[in-house]
Amino acid sequence: MLRHLFTLIWNRKRANLLLISEVFFSFVVLFGVSAVLITTAKNYLAPHGFDYEQVWRLEVRAGQGLEMPRAELDDVLRQVKALPGVQTVALTSGNMPFIFNTNNSIFRYKGKESPTTNVYDADDHYAAAMQLQLREGRWFAPTDDGSNHRPVVISQDLRESLFGDAPALGKVFTYGVPGAEIKPENEFLVTGVVENVRMSSDFNAAEPAVWLRLLPYDTTHWETANVLVRVAPGQGGELQEKIARTVAGVTRQWTTEVRVMNDDRLSKRRYTLVPVVGLSIMGLFLIVNVALGLFGVLWYNISQRRAEIGLRRAMGATGASISRQFLGEMLVVTTLGVLGGVLLAVQFPLLGAFDLPAQRYLLAIAAATVAVYVITALCAWQPSRLAAAIQPAMALREE
Amino acid sequence: MENLLATPTQSRPQPLLTSPAAGGTPVLQLTNIEKVYQTSTIETVALNRVNLTINRGEFVSIMGPSGCGKSTLLSLMGLLDEPTSGTIAVDGRLVTSYSDRELAGLRNLKIGFVFQSYHLINDLSVVDNVEVPLLYRPGMGGKERRQRALAALDKVGLGARTGHFPGQLSGGQRQRVAIARALAGGPEIILADEPTGNLDSVMGEEIMDLLLGLNRQDGVTIVMVTHDEQQALKTQRVVRFFDGSQVG
Ligand SMILES: Nc1ncnc2c1ncn2[C@@H]1O[C@H](COP(=O)(O)OP(=O)(O)O)[C@@H](O)[C@H]1O
Ligand SMILES: [Mg+2]
Repeated sequence: MLRHLFTLIWNRKRANLLLISEVFFSFVVLFGVSAVLITTAKNYLAPHGFDYEQVWRLEVRAGQGLEMPRAELDDVLRQVKALPGVQTVALTSGNMPFIFNTNNSIFRYKGKESPTTNVYDADDHYAAAMQLQLREGRWFAPTDDGSNHRPVVISQDLRESLFGDAPALGKVFTYGVPGAEIKPENEFLVTGVVENVRMSSDFNAAEPAVWLRLLPYDTTHWETANVLVRVAPGQGGELQEKIARTVAGVTRQWTTEVRVMNDDRLSKRRYTLVPVVGLSIMGLFLIVNVALGLFGVLWYNISQRRAEIGLRRAMGATGASISRQFLGEMLVVTTLGVLGGVLLAVQFPLLGAFDLPAQRYLLAIAAATVAVYVITALCAWQPSRLAAAIQPAMALREE
Repeated sequence: MENLLATPTQSRPQPLLTSPAAGGTPVLQLTNIEKVYQTSTIETVALNRVNLTINRGEFVSIMGPSGCGKSTLLSLMGLLDEPTSGTIAVDGRLVTSYSDRELAGLRNLKIGFVFQSYHLINDLSVVDNVEVPLLYRPGMGGKERRQRALAALDKVGLGARTGHFPGQLSGGQRQRVAIARALAGGPEIILADEPTGNLDSVMGEEIMDLLLGLNRQDGVTIVMVTHDEQQALKTQRVVRFFDGSQVG
């Protein structure tokens, strides 16, 4: 019977080619959507590498045309730190997690170049404020003040790309940008390695990161100081107001805005989800279209083949074997379309496209295959039942 | 119509065979058959109290004007449809209690169909068409199917056209393919509904000779619907219908 099906399908290749290409097309779309969804889900489930709960971010601004001397800034930080409910206060750069502000570069160590890496400024309290997870070495400390090079902490993925399996602590690397000026503060001494961080959004993968120790240099010309505040659980608006008043109490012209990092995360998440949801809806729309197409073609096929069905019944086919025949034909056609799709899809891991692990693509291929079979089975189900229910005497009537 | 009814029906030009009425073994027995087609608007009585017995080895013609229920009768005999009332027996066994599966099995083993419009599958080659009934025979392998199909095609004189497609054949050749298909399963009965209806007289003659040969040489029981008086005269028995009822 299987050979008979193949003969039938081969002899109807023109009509079946249309079906096969529809299956192929829907496979490719499903593969793409699956790859994106799987990647997004994997990212979502991966650890952030830091703790965003109970962290607030302060933007401390000196008034228009006013200066921000380090001594006064330190005073502000000290007083905020002293407030009950505040656990840690850290100074950093403006590219804090989950906001639209990035600062990145490429680094080099002995001819090895890093991928694009996020660059953060951080003081000695940053690791405690963010609860980064140290893998090797240590975070910055006042003992680093005398260092000849700029102390830095790097993320594990940056460590792997620059140093591989070799030791990283104590090594010095530089900017990878050709022509960058070589000066002591651009020579980075690795003091520690932390776990990978996902600071862009809940749905983004980890990106390599480097934290440069904020040197105790002059902050007079800063317009804004970016401060991270870790607070005790349960702190809210009252403490926020207190912080704002404290900042204003130190220097009358300075102002501050207090933002909750978790709110930043949630709003970034909504923003990042838009293209994913859009793609999924588009994919769904295409799939529904393809499903309707398949359904229509099958329906048409069966109405065209009423006489054939009647004839087969007369020759001894049961209703069930008619329905099996139609499902079988659809199964063969689907398989041919899926095979074509798989052939295309395996090119992605083979060519290493988009830097994704091969396993991710294989998972997407599996998901698309299952989905295509389910869709075609659903589309073929009703028409096949219809075919089985056709009354042979009626189908064979000739006027 | 009047003269059709008036025609005497006793003509038996084949005295070689035993008289069907006397001593034959019944293969198909229809008793008190009534068939009513019910649609939302009208009710059509296609067959009305029909009693008919077909004996083994017989060649029976069924005649009657268009719409009198001949095709309906054939599809009941072929177990393709159920009567509204009355009984059908095959080899003396009532078929009322058979399941869909058992009926399909009976059709496959015992009955071959030939239709006015051939009903070949255009996307299958001649030999693949002839193999169709054998696909539904449990346990038959591809090799045996092919052998049987080729033998049946030889028998109808189409041994040289097995790889052709129906579209490449004349009407007469197509009907011979259909007869080969009916023969391939080795049926006891062939039910032919106006097998020469779409053919010119020369081709019709060929088909008629083929059927007569099958009946006489191979002992196949044949029930044939025809409009052709000459053809009917060549068969052993003519049953006439008018408006759903047997009239002779
Ligand atoms: N499936 C059906 N539904 C309704 N009426 C039918 C159906 N099949 C046959 N008939 C009617 O039954 C009568 C007998 O039809 P049929 O057996 O095809 O006659 P014949 O073959 O002698 O021309 C006709 O009036 C026809 O219209
Ligand atoms: Mg008819």
